[in-house]
Amino acid sequence: MTPNSSSPSSALSRRGFLASSAFATAGIAGGIPLLTACGGSGSKNEGTTTGENLKDLLPAYVASDLVAADIPSKNGSAAGFTTAVPAGELAVSVPKKLGKGSELTIMAPIYGTSPKQGNPYWTAMDEGAGVSVKWENQEGTTYGQKLGAVLASSSIPDAVVIPGWELMGKIPSAINNKFADLGPYLTGDKVKDYPNLAAIPTAAWQRAVFGGKLRGLPMPGADTPNIAAFYRADLFKERGYEPPGTTKEFYDLCKELNAPKSRVWACGDMTWAAWNFFGVLPEKPYYWRLVDGKLVNRYETDEYLEALAWSRTLYSAGFVHPDAKSESSDIGNLFSSGKVMMYNADLSDWYGKTVVQRVDNPKFAMAAMDYFAHDGGDPTLYTNAPSNMWCFASEKADEKTVVDLLALANFTAAPYGSKEQRLRQFGVEGVHHTLADGVLSKNGTGNNQVFGTYEYLASPAAFLAYPDHPDVVEGMTGWQQRQGAHLTRPLFYGMQIQEPNRYTALNSQFEDLEKDIVRGRKKVGDMKKAVSGWKSSGGDKLRDWYKKLLDETGDSAS
Amino acid sequence: MAPPSVRAGTLRHRLRRDRLLLLMVLPALVLLLIFNYVPLIGNIVAFQEYDPYIADNAFRAIGQSPWVGFEQFQRMVDDPLFWQSVRNTLAIFLIQLTLFFPIPVLLALFINSFVRHRVRAIAQAILFLPHFFSWVLVVTIFQQMFGGAGLVAQTLRDHGHGGFDLMTNPGLFKFLITFEIIWKDAGWGVIVFLAALAAVSTDLYEAAAMDGANRWRRMWHITLPALRPVVALLLVLQVGNALTVGFEQILLQRTAVGPTSAEVLDTYVWNVGIQNGDFSYAAAVGIIKGVFGLLLVLAANKFAHLLGEQGVYKR
Repeated sequence: MTPNSSSPSSALSRRGFLASSAFATAGIAGGIPLLTACGGSGSKNEGTTTGENLKDLLPAYVASDLVAADIPSKNGSAAGFTTAVPAGELAVSVPKKLGKGSELTIMAPIYGTSPKQGNPYWTAMDEGAGVSVKWENQEGTTYGQKLGAVLASSSIPDAVVIPGWELMGKIPSAINNKFADLGPYLTGDKVKDYPNLAAIPTAAWQRAVFGGKLRGLPMPGADTPNIAAFYRADLFKERGYEPPGTTKEFYDLCKELNAPKSRVWACGDMTWAAWNFFGVLPEKPYYWRLVDGKLVNRYETDEYLEALAWSRTLYSAGFVHPDAKSESSDIGNLFSSGKVMMYNADLSDWYGKTVVQRVDNPKFAMAAMDYFAHDGGDPTLYTNAPSNMWCFASEKADEKTVVDLLALANFTAAPYGSKEQRLRQFGVEGVHHTLADGVLSKNGTGNNQVFGTYEYLASPAAFLAYPDHPDVVEGMTGWQQRQGAHLTRPLFYGMQIQEPNRYTALNSQFEDLEKDIVRGRKKVGDMKKAVSGWKSSGGDKLRDWYKKLLDETGDSAS
Repeated sequence: MAPPSVRAGTLRHRLRRDRLLLLMVLPALVLLLIFNYVPLIGNIVAFQEYDPYIADNAFRAIGQSPWVGFEQFQRMVDDPLFWQSVRNTLAIFLIQLTLFFPIPVLLALFINSFVRHRVRAIAQAILFLPHFFSWVLVVTIFQQMFGGAGLVAQTLRDHGHGGFDLMTNPGLFKFLITFEIIWKDAGWGVIVFLAALAAVSTDLYEAAAMDGANRWRRMWHITLPALRPVVALLLVLQVGNALTVGFEQILLQRTAVGPTSAEVLDTYVWNVGIQNGDFSYAAAVGIIKGVFGLLLVLAANKFAHLLGEQGVYKR
């Protein structure tokens, strides 16, 4: 009964959000042209793509305004939709079936159990787009392990979805070598054959440029942080607690909430939230800050160490649920069942958990606390990358197959308020959902078959639409708008940068070390030692490489 | 188990005589060849900076990846994480050798001491059962029992004591996984010893009893000598596997205690190769592991010969 949530929250576990190793980030940007390759004998694709060269690759942007959002985007938030109109009043965004009936094999992550081939949802989607998809879904949490092997074979699927957190090791090399250049189909005005793809914001396309070619179909995201610190709003209200405003208040609140004897713990691991409380720089490749003309890495900053030290105090005080310490069960589920009062996860958990819990407990309510600077006041938050999941077409796919893939992507990227989008998100009326008195609700079949997979092929500009739980949409967009007021763009914002191969293993130790430190197995001082080792074994050279990139391309995409 | 009484005969004659047996081992041989020997060829990537994606498929990519000689092996020397996993692997091997290895022997003697067949069958069934559980299940059961929110910890809390968490204690980790293996596999390990015991003629016991040997004497002079060749054989095999100490079991629990105490060679290869995509380095570590494994088998076998046992092969 896992509900269809539009964004893959559980993917943000282990390899996920904190993924260290090799990343490729291609870029966009400022002024100067070209694929900038810096030094050494690295691959031909390292560096980023910027300026005129980038502009020449990007598709044209044609806004689409089928229906006005109930809650318009503000401060980089997603647009919110809280109401559902009857099927008869929905707009049509794909008037003519574009697909020519190709059979497409597509590999994509799935967060839940894959429904059977030929189920009514997939059949209706294929029928609408005019293609026939053979899904090769793989469990999202272990997707990276499958991905590496599949891409090494000579028969890769026609299309492969790759999330940004899987761009480790040699995956960027695979993208550049195995996937087709979509430029000939999409660059400039060509994209206008696919109106819903033309409505995808340009910044999202910029990050889909890999190795100097437009290779990816993007899934755009909101500018605001995707990680939220959740608390049980229903229980807080019942007992008269307020969400904290400083890290000290957070700690004191934990002391009140913690009751291991009654099998209730104050929180899960809060390290991801701590990055935001302390204003720590994001992960690779946006992990640099310019201080007096010198690049400083996130690992070298004081706030990084402070965030670790604070997260550590929660463990040593016994506030963290033991299963979070051993990473042996899903903290989101412990939170839902009231055994943990606060935890951090992808914002999409707000809907994902609520929809499940309200089946049995209509009063269930959770909320995300506003981020604060650790000593009070406004937080320093970094703008999220404009897209962090892409779909690629195999280089071996023939033209008909690629065109039909784009037809399908155009169908999945239909905006809210369209017939196509209703089908994509809620399935077939009567089979997967019902709409009565303006309330749209998915049934059991809907929850088991209508899963996130199609939207990974391409999505419209970030939006949140859960007409079944309008209060959740209001909560999520409201949180995003408040956090959005404190956003700062990191250096190299929006660029897709590929670091040279020789540095791919450089950062791989930090994720383990962070976990060791917060759990009390190592000291904060051990991180300092690791950082000086990092500097001498390549970190300083990496800094020079980035400095050169900065001097040649400027500090952001646009 | 007993050696063939007639060693003579030409190869052809022996082939004909044993054709049925040879036919039966054929499928196993084919599998061994495909999954254990053919992949050995892939080890040449250890001498490259291998990128499986630069060519049409992973095999052709071997032809196009640059050769770097012994660079990957040199990296190992300066890699503290590699040495940490070597230390952990050897420590776990030694702990398991001392704590786990004798247990199936003792259990076999214990089960063998039951006279009534029915009691014996029940005891065996109970001991075998956990062997068929997957590691995921075993680790979950242990977590539910001995984890920080588990049965033991909650019972202690209910009685006013502090928490207890065996599952996240790095210092006890090596003993914890040995404990898990004992629970899961000791019963299974009993089988081969029971078979050896079944081969002992009851005449020997009766004759010894007639001569006035008590229970302990009979065990010392009849049962244990009967087990000796099997113990020696298994010991040699165990030593040969010294560097392979439960990949899945440890990978599942690595995050709970951290790599400092839980990273072993196999999980290190997994993390470096599969997670980080550093295939050449992972292959180099794998080769070193294989070479040391072979040396250990040879050494253990030599030792078995010195003790007058057969080991895995004859002198």
